[in-house]
Amino acid sequence: MIALITTPAHNIPYLFAAFAITWAVFFVYVFFTSRRQEELEQEMESLREEIRRRDDRDEGM
Amino acid sequence: MASIAGRARGGLRWNIALVVMAAVMVVNMFFAFMFAPTEAISGHVQRIMYIHVPMAWLAFLAFFVVFCGSIMYLWKRDDRWDDLASSAAELGIIFTTLVLITGPIWAKPTWGVWWTWDPRLTSTLVLWLIYVGYLMLRAYSANRSQGARFSAVLGIVGFIDVPIVYFAVDWWRTQHQRLVLGGPSLESDLHPDMRLALLVSVIAFTLLFAFLLRQRTSLKRVERGVREMKEDAEFRTEGQR
Repeated sequence: MIALITTPAHNIPYLFAAFAITWAVFFVYVFFTSRRQEELEQEMESLREEIRRRDDRDEGM
Repeated sequence: MASIAGRARGGLRWNIALVVMAAVMVVNMFFAFMFAPTEAISGHVQRIMYIHVPMAWLAFLAFFVVFCGSIMYLWKRDDRWDDLASSAAELGIIFTTLVLITGPIWAKPTWGVWWTWDPRLTSTLVLWLIYVGYLMLRAYSANRSQGARFSAVLGIVGFIDVPIVYFAVDWWRTQHQRLVLGGPSLESDLHPDMRLALLVSVIAFTLLFAFLLRQRTSLKRVERGVREMKEDAEFRTEGQR
């Protein structure tokens, strides 16, 4: 039984699963990291805009 | 204008880094699947070693960065060290998770079971739990500086488990194979072509780790910047009332 399980042809799905899961995890991580970066850039831009607007209003007073 | 140019330069650097990483990984896959010979007894499944071993090495490296970053944070109280330590902890958990996934996938066809409470496997699971606790401690602390301080202590104490995981195969009777990286079996057990393929894989994944760590640390810095800007805006609003 062990010999049957360990023949190279039976092993391919295990090999495929290990590599596929590893790469999927890395792609998901990079995807979420880059999405978070975009969100933060947008947030920072809107904060800068708000501060600028507020400073202009204060100078006008 | 300068910020747009800076962002464009950053985007270009990011794209170049991604292309370089992709090229390195293609070379790595060539060595793992084409160059390295097929193992005589277990067959192709042994090629899981070219991801399983580098993941374990990088988990150790990541937790060593956490250890150093935590010491520096407690000493200097500089947030940049905390950013580095927490980013490395996050990556260390990812690598340990992959070790705990690829290990059982390799174990099933070779040992006949997915999991056994072997010292190496059990201490690796404990390592994973310690650093999941590290991130939970940060997430649920009353304030940021308390979370950073407490997690830094855990990052230092938790590192004790890394040598336990590494030497578990020598200290106890275990089903897991002996040391592959840095052990005496490196000379005797592995075919020279397998050793070379493993070395290429370790280098390739170490580059990936350096790239991801740099990305994550700079993202943490931006997160901190946004948080400080928000606090500053709230402070000004309070002052005007």
